Amino acid sequence: MRTWLWVLLLLFLGGLFLWGMQRNPRELPSVLARERRPAPDFTLPVLPPYREAWGETFRLSQHLGKRPVVLNFWASWCYPACYEEAPVLEALWRRYRDRVLFLGVNTQDQEPGALRFVAQFGLTFPQVFDPRGRVGVDYGMYGVPETFVIDAQGRVMVRHAGAIDQATLEKYLAEALP
Amino acid sequence: MRWLALLFLFLSAWAQSGPPPDLSPEVFAIARELRCPVCQGESAAESNAGVAVEMRRIIAEMLQQGKTEAEIKAFFVDRYGDWILYEPPRRGATLWVWVLPLVGLFLLGLGLFAYFRPKRPLPPELLEEAERRLKEPPA
Repeated sequence: MRTWLWVLLLLFLGGLFLWGMQRNPRELPSVLARERRPAPDFTLPVLPPYREAWGETFRLSQHLGKRPVVLNFWASWCYPACYEEAPVLEALWRRYRDRVLFLGVNTQDQEPGALRFVAQFGLTFPQVFDPRGRVGVDYGMYGVPETFVIDAQGRVMVRHAGAIDQATLEKYLAEALP
Repeated sequence: MRWLALLFLFLSAWAQSGPPPDLSPEVFAIARELRCPVCQGESAAESNAGVAVEMRRIIAEMLQQGKTEAEIKAFFVDRYGDWILYEPPRRGATLWVWVLPLVGLFLLGLGLFAYFRPKRPLPPELLEEAERRLKEPPA
C-alpha cells in the first residue's frame, strides 16, 4: 500500500516535470490577443517621408473598425529579425493595400537610423515614430520586432513575436479578412 | 596632485552609482517588483533597456498623478499579465511554485523520520537462536 503511494507520488512529480519541460519559455502571453481586447489608441508623429500622404500625425482610432490593421513594431538596430521581415511586410502591403492597413511603429530608435532603414527597404506603408516606446508598453510588447493583427472590428487578434514570415502573415490576414 | 585626481575620479564614480536624480527612490522600489520585458532575469529597476527606462518613467508619472502602488502594478498586469510581476500570484499554475517546496520539505522530513526512527529491538528468542547458530560448527 505504502509502496504504491510512493510510486504514485513519483509518477505525479515526473508528470509535472515533463509538462514543465514541454512548455515553451519563449511563448509570451499577450493579454490583448487572448482577450481580444480593443486595440489601444495612440497618436504619434509620422516619419518625414510619409507626411505628404498621411499627414503630420497618425491617430490609430481614425483607422480602426474599417478594415484590419497590421501593426508592426520595429527598430533599425534590431538586426537581423527586423531586416528579415521588412521585405515580407512591404510585399504583402503591396498585395493587400486595398483591404488591409499596414502601419510601422519605429520604437526606441533615432530618426536618422529609422530613415535609413525605410529607404533601404523602400517601405511604402505609413511609418510612425515612437522614440520612447510608450505605445509598446500599452500593447504589452516585449521586444522588437513584434506584429499585432487587429481585426476589422478594431480588436487585437494576434500578437506575433519575432520576425514574421510571409506564410504566417498570410494566414493571419486570411483569418482577419471577412 | 595625483592623489587628488584619483580621489576626484573615485568621487565621480561613486556619485554615478545609485538612481539618477530625476526619479525618486519610490519609483525604483516599485520598478524592482516588476520584470523587465526584454531582459533575462532583471527587474525594471536594474535594467537600462529602453522599455525598462520607459516603465520607470511611466511609474514616476503615475506616482505624480497620485496613483497607489497597487494601481501602478495593476496597470502593468493589465498589459502584460501576471508575468510582469516578480512575485507570482498565489493561484492557478503558479500556485505550485508556492506549494511544491513545502510538499518537498514535508516529504524530506517524512523520509528522514522513516530512516532514523528508533528500531524496535529483536525478540530475545530470535537473538538466542541466532547466537546458537553462530556457535554451531560449520557443516
